[in-house]
Amino acid sequence: MSARLRADTRTLPVLALIVVAFGVLAAGNPTLAQAGTYAAIFALAAIGLSLLMGNVNQISLGQAGFFGIGAYAVAALTTAWNLPPWLSWPLAALIGIVTATLVGLGLGFIALRFRGHYLAMATLTFGLICAGIFHEAKFLGGAIGIEDIPYPRFGALTISGYPAYWFAWILALATALLTLNLLRGRSGRAFEAIRNDELAAEVLGVPTRRYKILGFAYAGALAGLGGAVYAAFLGIVVPDAIGVQLSISLLLMVVLGGSGGVSGALIGAALIGFLDITGHQFENTREVVYGLLVILVVSAAPGGAFGLIRARLGAAPRAPQPALPATRSVTRTIPAPAGGAPLAVSHLTTRFGGLVAVNDVSFELTRGTLTALIGPNGAGKTTLFNAISGIGNLSEGRVTIAGIDVTGWQPHRVAALGVGRTFQNARLFGEMTVLENVVAGAFRTERTSFGADLFALPSARHAERAAGDRARHTLARLGLEPLASTLAKDLAFGDRRRVELARATASDPWLLLVDEPAAGLNAGERAALTTDLLSLRDAGMTLLLIEHDMRLVMSISDRVMVLKFGTLIADGAADTVRDDPAVVAAYLGTAN
Amino acid sequence: MFQLLVAGLTVGSSYALVALGIHIVLRATRIVNFAQGEFTIIGGLLALTLVQLFHANSWFALAGATIAGFVLGLIFERLVLRPAARSGEMAVTIATLGTVFILLYGHALIPGWGSLPQPLPAFSGDAADAIALGSVSVQVQSLWVLGLLFAALAALYVFFERTYFGKAIRAAANNPTGAKLVGIDVTTARAVSVGLSIALAAYGGTIIGPITLVGGAGGTAIAIKGFVGAIVGGLESPAGCVAGGLLVGVTEKLIQGLPGVSYGLSDPIVYSLLLVGLLLRPQGLFGLPSAVRD
Repeated sequence: MSARLRADTRTLPVLALIVVAFGVLAAGNPTLAQAGTYAAIFALAAIGLSLLMGNVNQISLGQAGFFGIGAYAVAALTTAWNLPPWLSWPLAALIGIVTATLVGLGLGFIALRFRGHYLAMATLTFGLICAGIFHEAKFLGGAIGIEDIPYPRFGALTISGYPAYWFAWILALATALLTLNLLRGRSGRAFEAIRNDELAAEVLGVPTRRYKILGFAYAGALAGLGGAVYAAFLGIVVPDAIGVQLSISLLLMVVLGGSGGVSGALIGAALIGFLDITGHQFENTREVVYGLLVILVVSAAPGGAFGLIRARLGAAPRAPQPALPATRSVTRTIPAPAGGAPLAVSHLTTRFGGLVAVNDVSFELTRGTLTALIGPNGAGKTTLFNAISGIGNLSEGRVTIAGIDVTGWQPHRVAALGVGRTFQNARLFGEMTVLENVVAGAFRTERTSFGADLFALPSARHAERAAGDRARHTLARLGLEPLASTLAKDLAFGDRRRVELARATASDPWLLLVDEPAAGLNAGERAALTTDLLSLRDAGMTLLLIEHDMRLVMSISDRVMVLKFGTLIADGAADTVRDDPAVVAAYLGTAN
Repeated sequence: MFQLLVAGLTVGSSYALVALGIHIVLRATRIVNFAQGEFTIIGGLLALTLVQLFHANSWFALAGATIAGFVLGLIFERLVLRPAARSGEMAVTIATLGTVFILLYGHALIPGWGSLPQPLPAFSGDAADAIALGSVSVQVQSLWVLGLLFAALAALYVFFERTYFGKAIRAAANNPTGAKLVGIDVTTARAVSVGLSIALAAYGGTIIGPITLVGGAGGTAIAIKGFVGAIVGGLESPAGCVAGGLLVGVTEKLIQGLPGVSYGLSDPIVYSLLLVGLLLRPQGLFGLPSAVRD
């Protein structure tokens, strides 16, 4: 669990206490109770947006659209139905939330196509389309909206006025709790990995597209829930209240409070919800102040109010980790793939425009061997790795892994077969600790569902513990335990490479692609690396290694392949390849 | 039909100027300014103030609003864009949205502006004046709008292609490091680009004002349509931006002219069409760059 998430977990009970205290104080004061209720309604939507922005690193300027879907579902259905009041609101709200979730899935799918400003613009356009529909649809009351929405009633309790404060806050706090569960679970680890480095997450087996869509759906569902409570509380829904301004307001709440997790969203929503009601006579001035505040916050305190609070609290105490025996010598046996060579590449060609980076390359690896792929700079080695692991498209040819044709697969599917890889420039998750990086590496070994995460079911807790143990074992095996709680961005260069190797092997892949692991390492680190690589091979792993250090290559490789201008020019045992005249010519040039 | 076309080109002119403004800022700073439409509104209101307070004629008001827009742009760049840029791309997007709030709600606080749209005098004669072109009548102001749009484009062309300073700004936008090495003040070039962009927005708000009224809450819609025009035409091409903006205006008016389509539905339809178009052709109608790039 990251430091940010720990602080969030510790803050939530404090915020809950404040909510209760405020509720008691507001008992005789309808204005305060109303302001508090608004805050809870906004909080529901803001929690979803906070997760989307701060955890998944996506932006949405269309959240009012989802809010409107929830609000209009309740407004239109409860006024049309003739159901008992205890059933009417929950059923209508459920329909609204499900609709918002489905629309969220759709928006998430569209959002995959856009990044940065374009994503902001596309989601803003979505919000404008929704606003237009709400304004024009006759069955939604057109510009006038829908009035006389019945209050939800449970037995003798009518949810309006003061009771609505408690009703809305129970929902908001429960949602915050579930969201924290989600973020602490496997889904949260996936989000965190995506936020740090999408491509690295993908090659660890995280289906990044699916999780991004999930983020949009979750944010949509919560905004829909907020809207459903809003309609019931207000008793009236008008389209002008659910326009672009609401979308931007929600964004401002998340930014002012601090995006990511739940506490910032609750703080931001409480602030704006409160000012919206109590500052009625300062209309317009109030919004100008919001605008100024938000510019100030993004410029001077990007973590928002919760970021400032967290900085003041200092680092949260960390739960002691169970000590592990010195297990450097312990290696697990690697499960063998079913059928076929671990990796077979046939007639693989990759072109970038007119440039042929990899030209008709074919080879097959033998199980449990270490093969080195060498060649001058620009020979196409990394391009070949990318084609194998599903990054970028290959132009022609086939890649078969353990007998399965993976040509054109997305990287996370290739990874899920049991394929690990490292990058030439060690793409660690910089904002995460070494242990968290390696836990993320164990992602594909975890078996738990979204629902289990959300409700923190025993299976989710078990999966988290198992991934943690696995990661600590991996660190122990590579002798990296002392670094476990260091942030990856603070690591020394050589350690970065070793941590990346630990991360790539945490899930016990049986095929490992290693891109220049020795580059920039000193002699001692190279020796350790050699030991690590050989022990992986001896445990049954098949390794393909890109490396420029010839001494290392010649001493550990069972086989050496040489690539030059995209073409394989030599392939065989280390000694044979070293003396091959074509290889000598490629590296040293010929006399004439 | 022809009438709708002229009406479309007229409103499209303001979208085209917004699109061009977005293009200039994006080129120079890699920032998309969501407040561009609000600055169009502010520009129209500035012109209104000049007319009301100083009884300025339309030309004087146009020049005044444009210059004031330029100054506003410099302030906006210094106080909003530059500080926020240090915190990353999402931060700048959010800061321009904060600016939307300030301008949208703030302009209603200013005496004489208020929150309701107001008429701005036409550039010649009365706003309702029309002349007959064949069988259709065209508002005189529409002709002024189109003429002034192309006058602005010509001036921009000369500035960027023929003057030393314009070339320096383009160099700074294309390759900031290279420009710095040859002694161009990149910081100033960026500031001036933003200033120009906001000046264009104010200019657009003033020339379209007599037709659409000035003030009100329509700025976000103008910004989106301008941006959509820029994407349709190709964000990297100034001519494409202008063509795209005009195209959005014409599409909007043609949809409003369809039988059975209520006035209010035209915006959602335009947005949906363009969202779908964007998905199918992320590189824009006229080719070049991709909307997927960041």
